[in-house]
Amino acid sequence: MHTRFRWAVCLCVAATALAPRMSAQADAQAAGPGVGAAAPDFSLPGATRYGLLRAPVRLSDYRGQTVVLAFFYQARTKG
Amino acid sequence: MEAYRDQYAKLFHNGRKVAVIGISVDPDTMLANWARESDFPVVFASDSGSVIGKTYGAFDSKYKVDNRSLFVVAPDGHVSYVVKPFNVLSPVAYTDLAHAIDAVTPAPAPAKTGGG
Repeated sequence: MHTRFRWAVCLCVAATALAPRMSAQADAQAAGPGVGAAAPDFSLPGATRYGLLRAPVRLSDYRGQTVVLAFFYQARTKG
Repeated sequence: MEAYRDQYAKLFHNGRKVAVIGISVDPDTMLANWARESDFPVVFASDSGSVIGKTYGAFDSKYKVDNRSLFVVAPDGHVSYVVKPFNVLSPVAYTDLAHAIDAVTPAPAPAKTGGG
């Protein structure tokens, strides 16, 4: 019984210690990269006014150019 | 995206050394249709899984879409400018964006002149 109690206490302490760290990681992800950070690479299906792209759009393919990443709500929204 | 299209030459140097990637959760087919109909000169990327939107902190989990967020990535791959949310109706937002782009974009090579 004592052993179970000790394990329960240990688990509570560990959870309490890890919670702020996990929360901080979640916040960092929610915030996204800031100025000076390496821009996370991605590979996504792409399209232009000429149709679908055969190769995925990869940020790393644009190294050497300035890239503007513009996130927006949905297609056909004004702005 | 209409504002980007209409200011493409001024803001984005007509695509010389500057690439614009519009990202949303829409399917690529929908983005292709919209790009064709509106004659957008930019590249669109379909983040239908919203993974990249989450990575960049643009995804709105309540409405399941990306909020208007803008990142300028310098030629070395590092983020040089971030605006969240990007106010598409504000002229100042485009002025600031132009400055941010010009600050990291190499100047075009001078035009060759004839003569000797």
